[in-house]
Amino acid sequence: MSHIHIPDGVLPWWLWLSGWLLALGLLAVASRMATGAGSRRAVPLIGAVSALVLVSMSSEIVPLAYHINLTVIAGVLLGPWLGAISAFIVVLVLALLGHGGATVVGLNTLVIATEMTLGWALVRGGLRLLGHKRVRPVAAISTVITLAITTTMLVGIVALAGTGATARETGALDAETLEFRNPFGDGVFTIGLLGDGHDHAGETEEEHAAHADDDHDEAGGLSVKRFAAVVYTLGPFGWVLEALVTAAILGYVARVRPSLVYGTPAAEYRVRYGDEHGGH
Amino acid sequence: MDVTAVDRSAVLGDTLLHRAAPASKLVSAGLLLGAIVTVNDPLVAAGLALSLVGAGAAVRLPLRQMLPLALYPALFAVVFAFAAAPGPATGALFVLKAVTAALTVVTLMFSTPYPQVFAPIQRITPTIVGDALLMTYRSLFILAEKFSDLLRAVRLRSGVSARQPVRAARATARALGGLLLYSLDLSQREYDILRLRGYEGGMRVRRQVSTDRSADAAALLYAALILAVVVVFRALPHELGGYAWLVTVVGAVDLATGLRIGRRT
Repeated sequence: MSHIHIPDGVLPWWLWLSGWLLALGLLAVASRMATGAGSRRAVPLIGAVSALVLVSMSSEIVPLAYHINLTVIAGVLLGPWLGAISAFIVVLVLALLGHGGATVVGLNTLVIATEMTLGWALVRGGLRLLGHKRVRPVAAISTVITLAITTTMLVGIVALAGTGATARETGALDAETLEFRNPFGDGVFTIGLLGDGHDHAGETEEEHAAHADDDHDEAGGLSVKRFAAVVYTLGPFGWVLEALVTAAILGYVARVRPSLVYGTPAAEYRVRYGDEHGGH
Repeated sequence: MDVTAVDRSAVLGDTLLHRAAPASKLVSAGLLLGAIVTVNDPLVAAGLALSLVGAGAAVRLPLRQMLPLALYPALFAVVFAFAAAPGPATGALFVLKAVTAALTVVTLMFSTPYPQVFAPIQRITPTIVGDALLMTYRSLFILAEKFSDLLRAVRLRSGVSARQPVRAARATARALGGLLLYSLDLSQREYDILRLRGYEGGMRVRRQVSTDRSADAAALLYAALILAVVVVFRALPHELGGYAWLVTVVGAVDLATGLRIGRRT
């Protein structure tokens, strides 16, 4: 549930535009914080970690048709501010490769940035609380909690769109109003696809418009309940899988490069030459 | 998702679209995305999708590599449509919007080198974001190749098998763990190179100009025409809704013509 797979033009314009504005505001703050810490070191690090997240998102686990996200790990390595920049970059590159809508880049950035920040806070807090030896369970539990929260965020976004959105705002069209007319014989035939059986042929233009408006209103926006039921049913499988993978990777990294997980933030971390492949 | 194919086509391709200025292509893509956001009739959306494929075929873009990328979002859109759409027509509209939007951006990326696509984004975002964006795309190819090698090595040792998902997940996780360490080393090497080159923030991309003005005009006109059709159908739903099937037919004709032109040239 790391990013919203909602096509362009489905969410109302005010929602995705707000997402863009909030994301740009977050980027401005995050950039100021990151630049203060030294952007020269941050730029290649964000680039490498964002690329890693993108590579993981493009690799499917056989045969489950699930792609891992590594957002919690990215959060642990980058921290909240660099994480927010990385979230924007990941979402933007994904959108440019057709994976996720361009209009929802802002909302997706907010969701992934939240995931990275929560992951960072929960893993660091958990390790401080439970000790360094429990890195795997801490990573797994943090991932599940993080993904459960961001999934709820996703449902909240759809709920915001669903309650306020009319069929026209969401770009939705009611199947019952879908009709085929002959341009060469005005009103000769009008077939309602999956129609309600109503014959609108004898109506005046005003009556027809009124009917269509009623139909649009009935069609309403998105079905939030059904959407929530689907994501809360399928989501937990993804959460558990992501948690297992995150735990395995962080456990491995903690074994070969412990300072990356327990100590210095990656932005200040430096590998000694000759120790690039783990000397622990 | 084969990102190397995208870059190869963008840099080495020589179609009419490759000759247009990146700015014109970005504006055209923006207009087409505007059309996709605006469209509210599945028949119009279908016509738009068919016409776009036809245009791609006419200028001989590598559709075999582009279409799988463009169709990939359909998988998620189907799930979303099933979960949230109020009816079958709306569900179809969601899927068509996802595929058409993906096709638009994929067409842009297959015909424009990535620094040129990122250049306008660099101008509106803080320096660190623009620079990191360029570094991400550069690192992406290196890491994708490295990960592919790692997975191949794991597969050769029978670590990834469809019959053993737990073992496959463990092997993938181990490969990703190795890749993570490699990516941190890579970022350090890149940092050292940036220091040596005197990087102080702000990587500049030289703007690419058009080599064929007619290509710019064609891209802009095509996108503007599509947007105009969609806006008219959106503005007059009661008057024109019944004729939306004509747009699908025109899209199909575009596709057939585009395929024919593409084969001839």
